[in-house]
Amino acid sequence: MNECIENEIKEMLPDLLHRTLTADASARVDAHLASCEECREELEVLQTVKSAAVFAPVIDVDHVVRQIPPYRTIVPVVERPAATRVVSWLLAATMAIAVVGGGSLVLTRRQVPTAPRPVVTTKTPLPGPSQPTAEPSGTLKSVSPTETVVAIAPQAHTPALALAADVGGLSDGNLEQLMSEMASFDALPATEGDPVIFVDSSYNLDEDSR
Amino acid sequence: MIPSPEERLEETDMELIDRWKAGDSRAATRLVGRHSQALARFAASAGERDGIDELVQDTFVRAFASLDSFRGASTLRTWLFTIERRLMLDRRRADRRSRETVPVEESDHVSEYGALDSLIAEEAQERVRKSLDALSPTQREVFTLRVQQGLSYKEIADVVGTTEGAARVHYHNAIQTVKEFLKDE
Repeated sequence: MNECIENEIKEMLPDLLHRTLTADASARVDAHLASCEECREELEVLQTVKSAAVFAPVIDVDHVVRQIPPYRTIVPVVERPAATRVVSWLLAATMAIAVVGGGSLVLTRRQVPTAPRPVVTTKTPLPGPSQPTAEPSGTLKSVSPTETVVAIAPQAHTPALALAADVGGLSDGNLEQLMSEMASFDALPATEGDPVIFVDSSYNLDEDSR
Repeated sequence: MIPSPEERLEETDMELIDRWKAGDSRAATRLVGRHSQALARFAASAGERDGIDELVQDTFVRAFASLDSFRGASTLRTWLFTIERRLMLDRRRADRRSRETVPVEESDHVSEYGALDSLIAEEAQERVRKSLDALSPTQREVFTLRVQQGLSYKEIADVVGTTEGAARVHYHNAIQTVKEFLKDE
């Protein structure tokens, strides 16, 4: 028997057994087998091996299926990686620092008077029994169509509030100044005083009424 | 390769997987029924002696537990063979001292055909079993996957963890050994 050199055909013999060849390939193998004794013998050997593969136990399908948990219960819960948790903590800490720091900054700035001295223009009757009355907030009510210029004295600076802001950020000189100011404080916090009103008495209402 | 006529008429594995994921337990029954005997034959052909049914069961439990990782790049059966082979290797490593990996004794086998097995078939089984014993473990796996399961060389390479070319060489050497063994018998 001559040795067959059709390796491509030989490699397709198992596929022929399993009927997985296309029609063209199957016809080609069949044509070769008709004239090649070696390949027919090899196909017979393969058929024997395939047919003999029956010594496996019969599997109880239902028993196997009962061991398989339902889909949803065996899908593992995706746990966030440790890196994500660390980032979350860092983010939370950053936000906390920003809130506390920002709040302190806002509180500090509120306690430093930076607004210009308020100047209020109003009309004051001259002469007459009525006088402008100052509201506690520093505004004036006008009871006459005549005008006068009044200035409201600045409110007293309250260094006690500044103390609550940021003592640690003050220099030694500033601290000494602050201590000296504190020495002159009353034991009780001063209540807000009435605004001092300066009235320009040289203003002539008669000129305005003309 | 083209699917067999029976496979063309049935739902594909991927369709059954989707149905099982949707809560249809009958799809799991179909899948297990479709592939369980092939897994059992592969285990027996690879020399597993005891607990083949447990091995097949463990293979399915593991496979179903990780079905989300199955993308369909290979066939489901090839993927199942890969899982089963890993389980076999684990078992062999664990039981290296106590277990034997030689083929089972004839009395241990439960034939698919039951009591109707003919004496001729038993004789053929014995001859084939002895011829497979003459192969190296890798040759045996490659040969049985190719001849008994009909896998392509690419699929065999995936299961065994080798290259397609190496799988061809293993098959070529195995068929020569088996032919000579059966000729001498």
